[in-house]
Amino acid sequence: MSAAPDFSDYLGGDFGPFLAWDEVNAPMIRHWCEAMGDSNPMYTDAEAARAAGFDDIVAPPTMLMAWTMNGYGGKKPPGSGEGNALAVLAAMQAAGYPAVVAVNCEQEYERYLQVGDRVHYRATCEAISEEKTTALGTGFFVTELSTFYNQRDEIVGRQRFRVLQYRPAGQ
Amino acid sequence: MKVADIQTGAKLPDLRIDITAKLIVGGAIASRDYQDVHHDKAAAQALGSPDIFMNILTTNGLVGRYVTDWAGAGARLGAVNIRLGAPNFPGDCMTFSGEVSSVDAESGEVVVAVAGRNRLGDHVTGTVTVGMPA
Repeated sequence: MSAAPDFSDYLGGDFGPFLAWDEVNAPMIRHWCEAMGDSNPMYTDAEAARAAGFDDIVAPPTMLMAWTMNGYGGKKPPGSGEGNALAVLAAMQAAGYPAVVAVNCEQEYERYLQVGDRVHYRATCEAISEEKTTALGTGFFVTELSTFYNQRDEIVGRQRFRVLQYRPAGQ
Repeated sequence: MKVADIQTGAKLPDLRIDITAKLIVGGAIASRDYQDVHHDKAAAQALGSPDIFMNILTTNGLVGRYVTDWAGAGARLGAVNIRLGAPNFPGDCMTFSGEVSSVDAESGEVVVAVAGRNRLGDHVTGTVTVGMPA
């Protein structure tokens, strides 16, 4: 059996900035809260948000990634950087690990976003595991770290997104 | 609720979430996730899945909501760490349960261990960190 390929050249990098199509806004927050069944008033009522110590309506922190999604058109907003911190996944696919599954999502929040804020993020490939065999098959755990900023370049939060790129068991 | 009201080991009330196509599609669109497996049953089936399934951002949003619904308007979300398991398909029901795993009375930081189970098993397990008022 041959040794597992080495993908360590794909570690690191600094990709971005990846911008948001829209500033943080009350309609998108309300649509999110309706779908999630979240009735916390500081997400929809400016008075309640001020009573909670904010200047205006705030967004649920779990919306962090939603602000910078490409959306229906599948395109990044103009001014966004090029590249992809998870380019290693295509290389793994080409090397005989065709399947991918999301394993973990870890978000930490430094500050609440409020209406009018502009979000962007930068991304890096933080970790690539040794080749591992799991119940699904044999492959690599890959972690993308995205750091989110507001318009003042203050850190809003971080997201670690971990996937397993693998060759299904029995193949 | 204040940090002094919370004890390690305390159980959160369970929360049942009916998994409907409306919730899966509505959550995907609210999170601006237009991957076809979250709204197009034929596309999901072509990839070997029996139906459309919930996207990660919706799961994350529901986990956060489960804990802040319990902790109250004074709680501030500090972190949501989730591990993904069995998919949420339409027609299923996911039941959240939770238990306080640590309380730091000084900083107000409370960590809650959460699981969301459907008929296939654990859809999501993880921890949520909230900052609570003194």
